[in-house]
Amino acid sequence: MFRVSSIEDLKDLFEIVSRDVDKSRLYIVICAGTACQASGSNDIIRVAKKYILQNQLLDTISLKITGCHGFCEMGPFILTEPQGAFYHKVSTENICRIIDAVIANDYVEELLYTDPQTNEKYYKQSDIPFFKKQQRTIFSMNQEIDPIRIYDYITNGGYKALGKVFSKLSPEQVLEEVKVSGLRGRGGAGFPTGLKWEMLAKQSINSGKYIVCNADEGDPGAYMDRSLLEGNPHIIIEGMIIGAYATGSNEGIVYVRNEYPLAIKHLIIALRQVRDIGLLGENILGSGFSFDIRIVKGAGAFVCGEETALIRSIEGKVGEPRQRPPYPVNKGINGNPTVINNVETWANIVFIINLGASEYAKTGTKGNSGTKIFSLVGKIKNTGLVEVPMGITIKEIVYDIGGGPPGKAKIKAVQTGGPSGGCIPVRKFDLQIDYDSLAKAGSIMGSGGMIVMDENTCMVDVAKYFMNFLKEESCGKCYTCRKGTQRMYEILDDISKGKGTLEHLDLLEELALVVKDTTMCGLGQTASNPVLSTLHYFRDEYERHIIQKRCDAFVCKELVGAPCQAACPVGTEAWRYVAHIARGEYEQAYIAIREANPFPSVCARVCDHQCEEHCRAGTSGGDPVAIRLLKRFITDRIDPSRYKPKRTTVIKKDAPQVAVIGAGPAGLTSAHYLSLKGYKVTIFEAEDKPGGMLFCAIPSYRLPRETIKKEIVSLLDENITLKCNTALGNDITIDQLFNEGYKAVMLAMGAHKSRPLGLENEDADGVYPSIEFLKAFNLRNEQLAKGRVGIIGGGNSAIDAARTALRQKDVISVTILYRRTREEMPAFAEEIEAADQEGIKIQTLVTPTKVITTNDFFSGLECINNELGDTDSSGRRRPIPIKGTEHFIKLDTLIVAISEDSGIDCIGPARSSKIEVTDWNTVKIDQNTLLTSRPGVFAAGDVVTGPNTVIQAIAAGKKAAEMIDHYIKGEKMDQPKKHILPQIYVEPFVVELEDAWQAERIETPRKSIEKRKRNFAEVEVTISDEEARREAQRCLRCDLEFTQPQYIEKECITTEGK
Amino acid sequence: MITLQINGLQVKVEKGTTLLEVAKFLGFPIPTLCHMEGLSPYGACRLCVVEIGERSNAKLVSSCTYLAEEGLKVRTASARVVKARKMIIELLLASSPQSKTIQDLAAAYEIRQQRFKQEYEDCILCGLCVRMCEEQMMAKAIGFRGRGENRSIGTPFDVQAEACRLCGGCMYVCPVCSLRCTYNEPEKAICGACTNLSPPCLDKEQFDDMMCYMDPCVACEITKD
Repeated sequence: MFRVSSIEDLKDLFEIVSRDVDKSRLYIVICAGTACQASGSNDIIRVAKKYILQNQLLDTISLKITGCHGFCEMGPFILTEPQGAFYHKVSTENICRIIDAVIANDYVEELLYTDPQTNEKYYKQSDIPFFKKQQRTIFSMNQEIDPIRIYDYITNGGYKALGKVFSKLSPEQVLEEVKVSGLRGRGGAGFPTGLKWEMLAKQSINSGKYIVCNADEGDPGAYMDRSLLEGNPHIIIEGMIIGAYATGSNEGIVYVRNEYPLAIKHLIIALRQVRDIGLLGENILGSGFSFDIRIVKGAGAFVCGEETALIRSIEGKVGEPRQRPPYPVNKGINGNPTVINNVETWANIVFIINLGASEYAKTGTKGNSGTKIFSLVGKIKNTGLVEVPMGITIKEIVYDIGGGPPGKAKIKAVQTGGPSGGCIPVRKFDLQIDYDSLAKAGSIMGSGGMIVMDENTCMVDVAKYFMNFLKEESCGKCYTCRKGTQRMYEILDDISKGKGTLEHLDLLEELALVVKDTTMCGLGQTASNPVLSTLHYFRDEYERHIIQKRCDAFVCKELVGAPCQAACPVGTEAWRYVAHIARGEYEQAYIAIREANPFPSVCARVCDHQCEEHCRAGTSGGDPVAIRLLKRFITDRIDPSRYKPKRTTVIKKDAPQVAVIGAGPAGLTSAHYLSLKGYKVTIFEAEDKPGGMLFCAIPSYRLPRETIKKEIVSLLDENITLKCNTALGNDITIDQLFNEGYKAVMLAMGAHKSRPLGLENEDADGVYPSIEFLKAFNLRNEQLAKGRVGIIGGGNSAIDAARTALRQKDVISVTILYRRTREEMPAFAEEIEAADQEGIKIQTLVTPTKVITTNDFFSGLECINNELGDTDSSGRRRPIPIKGTEHFIKLDTLIVAISEDSGIDCIGPARSSKIEVTDWNTVKIDQNTLLTSRPGVFAAGDVVTGPNTVIQAIAAGKKAAEMIDHYIKGEKMDQPKKHILPQIYVEPFVVELEDAWQAERIETPRKSIEKRKRNFAEVEVTISDEEARREAQRCLRCDLEFTQPQYIEKECITTEGK
Repeated sequence: MITLQINGLQVKVEKGTTLLEVAKFLGFPIPTLCHMEGLSPYGACRLCVVEIGERSNAKLVSSCTYLAEEGLKVRTASARVVKARKMIIELLLASSPQSKTIQDLAAAYEIRQQRFKQEYEDCILCGLCVRMCEEQMMAKAIGFRGRGENRSIGTPFDVQAEACRLCGGCMYVCPVCSLRCTYNEPEKAICGACTNLSPPCLDKEQFDDMMCYMDPCVACEITKD
């Protein structure tokens, strides 16, 4: 090997190496970072090598195996040079095609990176949004060099900075450069590097000074130091040599954790190469300066990242921090002055020297110069390592580079700085990322971990996770850190199990502050951050756990029980009836459904099935169990009369009377349960038949009228009197009802008014609010839609209106106009899909601007196109009109379905009876008791919430019945909440392993499009006996954890043991 | 000599003196469980924290390990210090209520209840025994093992060390296991009768079976009359 012993030699080396570079040579660059290796890049390398050798392509194309490129989500991936194409998720099957394409200077189109949202294809890596918005100063080198070849590093400008330092700069000048650059320690605390170095340089001790590279990266979810060491070890070595030269130290140590075998391997190889070439060792480049680096492997204690603990670990003692001062720069390894810097800090040095300090300082903000590498992980589309200039906002990183959330769940917070950091909520995403503002927000920069959390992340659980980590990783010396983290974990664990109290929260906060105050080292002083920041920003979530006994993210197992049951507003034990179906016990299954829900057949058709959204079979990566279809199967099979509801009280002659206004799902439910509780109930309905929204709004092809009627009949009994054609305000008043002796009144009138567009001519003939349109048809069979029909909106009522319109006789075509994209439509996905199948056009990203009329008749719509802009507070991207895209759409009928509110018809009578209403035209109630502002008057359903799902109305009706019961009996209404865990044990059905592998979610069976398109027969059909049982057997049986006999026994033993 | 201010008092001390030594010399009481003259300072119990620095730079440090610095301003019993100490004592009580030393401390700091789950641990890992064994008995027979919640004191592999001469020095210095309150504790009650003028045992019936370290203790004597 060429050995350099002077500056001239080094220049010669650069010369020789650069002469060999052939810029036009074809390269296949394969990422072999740890993440890509895990997703199979080693196999790809093997196949590529074999292919090149077999086809004798050695002279035409070369392989380059590099470290991590950062886009780990898309691994393993391949770059081609000099084309610059980027192929992602490459497999061994298609690597050969890529090689052929590169040789032919062509692209393999279908393997190129495609944006999942816009479907745009990218030919160049640099155009991909993930890369485009980064500033990859340090990290871009990773994809240029093979980490085990020093010449690769040198051809890419490596050791130039070293040459510059040794030929032109004195140690003082190097110090000055680093100081001027404003570089701050990248390990997390952000101490100015130049200042630290200067202090070391000033130490006049002859026994030696140390510089240390701290590669003890231990934060969960952070791996940027690892990727740097693995992908570019020479940049660290070069930085350390320059640092040693500037500070006059002669021994360097890289403290790297033993869990990073690839990093250690690459570092050992690189160190040997540098020594061989003569840039490490005695008398470097003839300057008389000697320096060498050795590796110390850490045994994996998190606390050894703290500098005093790290020093003790290097000395061979137990990694335990000690009091500072004396600081390591005065008294470090073996009592000698020591400077410790993070991996990334050392890498930055090379760029400061190459660019010049003032040029370097132009990146970033004042006081926070340069770039920072973050490892962006968690609930985010583009997981990976990103390098950004300091001062960028969190929003830019999360949404522009990270691509936002991977699924429908909204992003809630980011956690920065690992276990010592804190959580920053989404409303603070405009925060600039730098050391000071992060600290102000209650978090820290840390080494650069950034964990994105969405609605499915429970903040109590996050704090608990980090406390569990810290209680194990604290060194245990300081009593407050050791015991404090244990106690904080204990309290958090209690809260997550529903055993917490509000006093616990105060105690937790008090304890956290003391732990922060009284511990010796950085670990303890920041250990409270996860608790304090989540308490600060997400106290309501803690309170939900304590008061409501609910974990909205469905994470805390002891509160959730079976997610399907916890997700159901009426608490249906979905697991129980699914288990019975799996065993073929259909009648028991029906009873399980009916016990919780008085409208099983209705819900089997139109429920928004929150149970499926939270089903563990779905959230753990597969498809959820088709619970709604199973319910449909059972309700089609078993007659409602098979269930005899239990009466809790025998009706007496003088039973108290309750009036219910409105015979919709909320009203009927509360009447039913009140009757069971021993009350005489009168229901007043404005229309001529009961059913409310079930009749008015839901079309019969989704919910056959027979089904509703049958279900309602099963609920009415001798205690319930139904008075139709009696509207509140016209025929009766609340005062009147109380005078007639009713003890309580329940308002459940629903929401019957569509919200207007707010455009001129909206009242022209041919423009209908959706509710009016649906009511006219469903109640009076009037067919209002004619010709070309346009529907504005993207919710369920828009789809209902569209599909109803399509089935009317004078309709030519139906188009839905929606202002955002299809993915953001609030309607059920399966409804949108069905509408699509039936031939309804869905035009997205348009907003109507003008309603055009001809002779007072509606004749068309002027619209403007939108593009998606910034994300709004709901986490969705805002539609922004594009100027100049106004266009005319010819239509004959327009149906407006943007939203409904309760409307003056309902609210008017309420208001005149001294009942407070909200600004959104809904009745104002106390959420816990459902009481309105007038004693004895309760309200539930859409009249309170605005348009909502059927199951929510049923749940509210059920709760109202309970509250009215408490009220009339004079009991306390606001009772403490209890969480309900699965209790009944249903023996699991044993599935053959082979069948279990093949189990896939059943598709919703529908009538063929031809058969259903133009009539009102029910679209969905029921599934067969065999299909139902197979689907039910897919259930993971989350309930068994709580109901299985062994589990209960084990619990008893452990509690007795204590 | 170094000049510093402690609780407003200007003092001159020799270089290398710890803040705890200064405070003791001047008669400012600072509680501690892991410090003992003749053993090297360790800083484990955190009871001896004092406040140094001013305004936004003010922080708590353990006085046993912090060396006197020129111009330093020290407060040994500021509100922040007392609040922290009280919480530490509460934590200690929750884990090792049977120690008389801890009970006395609790009484002195007027702590009447602890809010955590009651534990009965025989060791607070102050490390006095380890340092006693190493520095005074020159044996190094015992040491710390593990980290975090798994930290414990003992010998390697729990085999009795040959270096151990069974001198008992470790037991002698222990603040938790050598001085025991032996009452039958109802959950979360704190005795402290020895230094407390109104011990809880006076008005609580469930203390009938209580065996106090001070047996016969003053309080008990009073009730008997």
